[in-house]
Amino acid sequence: MKRHGVLLVFVLLLTLVLGACAQPATPAATPTASPIVMTDGLGRTVTLAAPAQRVISLAPSNTEILYAVGAGSQVVGRDNFSNYPPEALELPGLGDFMGFSIEQIVALNPDLVLLAEIHPPELVKSLEDAGLTVFYLKNPLTMEEMYPMLITVGELTGHKAEAETLVTQLSVRVAAIQQKLANIEERPTVFYEIDGTDPSKPWTTGNGTFIDTLLEMAKAENVGRAMGSQYGQMSIEALLEADPDFILLGDANFGVTPEQVAARPGWGELTAVKEGRVLPFNDDLASRPGPRLVDGLEELARILHAVPVP
Amino acid sequence: MKGRIVHPFWIALVALLAALLLSVLVGSVSLSLMDMARVVAARLSGTEIGGDLRVADTILFSLRLPRTALVALTGSALAVCGTSYQGLFRNPLADPYLIGVASGAGLGAVIALSLRWRYDALGLLAVPLASFSGAVLTVLMVVMLARVGRSLPVTNLLLAGVAVNSFTGAMTSFLLLRSTGELRRAIAWLMGGSAMGGWQPVLAVLPYWLIGLGILMTMGHALNVMQFGDEQAQQLGLPVEATRWVIIAVSSLATAAAVSFTGIIGFVGLIVPHLLRLLTGGDYRRLLPLSLLGGAAFLLVADVLARVVMTPQELPVGIITALAGAPFFIWILRRSRTLPYWS
Amino acid sequence: MLEVSHLTVGYGSKPVLKDVSFRLADGEILAVIGPNGAGKSTLVRALSGILPPQCGSIRYNGRDLCSLSVQERARMIAVVPQARNLPAGFTAWQVVSLGRTPYLNWFGQLSPADEELVREAMRRTDTAHLAERLVGELSGGEMQRLLLARALVQATPVMLLDEPTTHLDLQYQIGLLNRVVEVVRQPISGNGNGKPHSPAALVVLHDLNLVARYADRVLLMVDGCVRSCGTVSDVLRPAMLSEAFGVPLEVMRSPNGKYPLVVPLMA
Repeated sequence: MKRHGVLLVFVLLLTLVLGACAQPATPAATPTASPIVMTDGLGRTVTLAAPAQRVISLAPSNTEILYAVGAGSQVVGRDNFSNYPPEALELPGLGDFMGFSIEQIVALNPDLVLLAEIHPPELVKSLEDAGLTVFYLKNPLTMEEMYPMLITVGELTGHKAEAETLVTQLSVRVAAIQQKLANIEERPTVFYEIDGTDPSKPWTTGNGTFIDTLLEMAKAENVGRAMGSQYGQMSIEALLEADPDFILLGDANFGVTPEQVAARPGWGELTAVKEGRVLPFNDDLASRPGPRLVDGLEELARILHAVPVP
Repeated sequence: MKGRIVHPFWIALVALLAALLLSVLVGSVSLSLMDMARVVAARLSGTEIGGDLRVADTILFSLRLPRTALVALTGSALAVCGTSYQGLFRNPLADPYLIGVASGAGLGAVIALSLRWRYDALGLLAVPLASFSGAVLTVLMVVMLARVGRSLPVTNLLLAGVAVNSFTGAMTSFLLLRSTGELRRAIAWLMGGSAMGGWQPVLAVLPYWLIGLGILMTMGHALNVMQFGDEQAQQLGLPVEATRWVIIAVSSLATAAAVSFTGIIGFVGLIVPHLLRLLTGGDYRRLLPLSLLGGAAFLLVADVLARVVMTPQELPVGIITALAGAPFFIWILRRSRTLPYWS
Repeated sequence: MLEVSHLTVGYGSKPVLKDVSFRLADGEILAVIGPNGAGKSTLVRALSGILPPQCGSIRYNGRDLCSLSVQERARMIAVVPQARNLPAGFTAWQVVSLGRTPYLNWFGQLSPADEELVREAMRRTDTAHLAERLVGELSGGEMQRLLLARALVQATPVMLLDEPTTHLDLQYQIGLLNRVVEVVRQPISGNGNGKPHSPAALVVLHDLNLVARYADRVLLMVDGCVRSCGTVSDVLRPAMLSEAFGVPLEVMRSPNGKYPLVVPLMA
């Protein structure tokens, strides 16, 4: 009976696959004289006949990159969370992770839709099915991975030179910070709070995220690494044991204050709370993979090591 | 008697046609009727579609029509299977997810979502395939746990369903807690908000819909007989066990196929049968075809709402059906004391 | 002629009916009596095919009923259960017409002949005026008559009635049993596949005085075995009944001298 069951499932699956594959793939775009051909974060080959002039960005990080490389005037639509630079807010919002209006995206007639790793592959497929050109940017984990993304976006929008200049400026700033931190031996321990709605086990980040990378670059120990996963909930007991030197409130953007933290049951025992080293931190500078990550690094260096911001 | 069969049927048909039209006409972008007519005319006559009509054409034929079709198929499948299960289990609380389809589909989908897939045909189908097989395997598990020899007692099914549902639900929750970046996507999927568009899902679901609903449409008389309980049904000449196996098999397949692309849409399979029962009484020969029409119409309207209430953002349609469903359900419970459709 | 011989039936390995044998002729009313747990309802379930026999046979005119399909068997034996938990949303007409199930295809479409049969059965059971009413609105007596009508349209040569009077008031008990007698004495026509003949009726009854009044013959069961089977005066004897029911009983004659009357004695 069991074997039959497995066989049955297999046959059923096969029919589902065949059904789903029955439609031929959409025809490729017609090639032109000097197209831009690039491979995106999903391994897809994306071809643009000319630099994109009507770009839709569906992630805050993408919006920030587009404006930073000088393509801001070519952006015609954004996701609802894109709030930087402030002029982006004037663009029509097209939805968020709960769902985008593909109809409105189509109606804006874009020649490029810029996606990021927060988007499901189904969205790529849906936009492709609607005849749009889609480029998917993978999340970088280091500055060295982030720079080429800026160049790529520059190339896609015809701002390669500006993107290269930007990368040079950013790497100079990073080098300056690193030089100032070079002689630091004592690495403070840091707990980076993403969401403390449940004060008995707040969400934080482990390794494999850019927050962790920034903490590492800023010569700090991320206590969240003990979890062994990218994101997770750390119990207050583990936190008391780790007793970090600093608590950074990545959820400060959602209204969490150091006073609230001090009032949480059990948290008063933490050294960081007693000594006033619970500090709000603009999470956008750490969680959006774009040029402002360098701002985030400078901010961390200022907070943790009193390195003055240039 | 004949006249009474026709009457609600026509109402439901008109409701469905209206809902279909609404679903095609309404979206976050408003297209003029003139443009739509021109696009349809161009499609029908096979002429090239001009530049100014390209957007309207894409919105109409690549976005709204396939979505409308998938939503209609899903709504009708959920409602018909819900009606069948309420009849089969003689329980007004029964819905198509009673014996594991939803929890299994959810687990399969969350497993697939927690893995990284290449962007190709298989990678894109990973979630629907995993949810489909999760659903079918879970129902098989429930059935295997419930069966006694060749018979399938209803109480065993219910209890095995409860146990397996909470088990797979706990596994899903665990995976969700362990998940890294896919939490929102998984939650959207579990709320019936799948982003996959195009005609492929429609084509993949269609065979299961045709076979499943085709068979269930013939079950009205059998379900009527089963309302007297297994023993009387058998004394009236109905092969009860065989009927039960067939209904469970085709309902599970049709539901699993439907939710594998749309995500888990709750309450349709519960609300629509009850609504129709209030309107037309307890005859399953009428309830089943009416559920087909009414389920499609109901979900189409819910989907239109999901598209427009927070435009341009689209809500998972399951949120709409559940938001409408919970108050409705309470109302049904309060009404059912005075209405004798369930003893 | 229904012939039950050496029938043994049980739940699991424990036999509930042990070596039960009896005969039931067409047009005859056989009352099954006995204390609770004697196996009366189990007998009905076994005869109607719900419980498979562990050994023994059930034959009608020599034809083995146990080898029949569910549908074929439902053309041979109809059951009138106790009217409890009926689907409240059905109309009386729908309930009765479901009796035609063993003759219908999967869609359950009634032919004009079927509808005529349903109408006649409802007339015979005095339920015709209820046709459009919902079952949930009917009284116990009306529901029980509907189930009798449903069994009638099954047009079977054997009819089993499982304590049909249990939850009814006295006037409804008598009314129902009068209908049963009428049905057995004046069989319904119109099955279409044979000449009308008188069904054999097996009735499980509690009230021994109703047994005395309505039954042609009586089957007394004790502890899953047939204690006695015969005419009313053969079985309704004080010594046998007192022993079977475990209380002292006296049997007297009714004032008109026609029927025995069973009364308990004070200990």
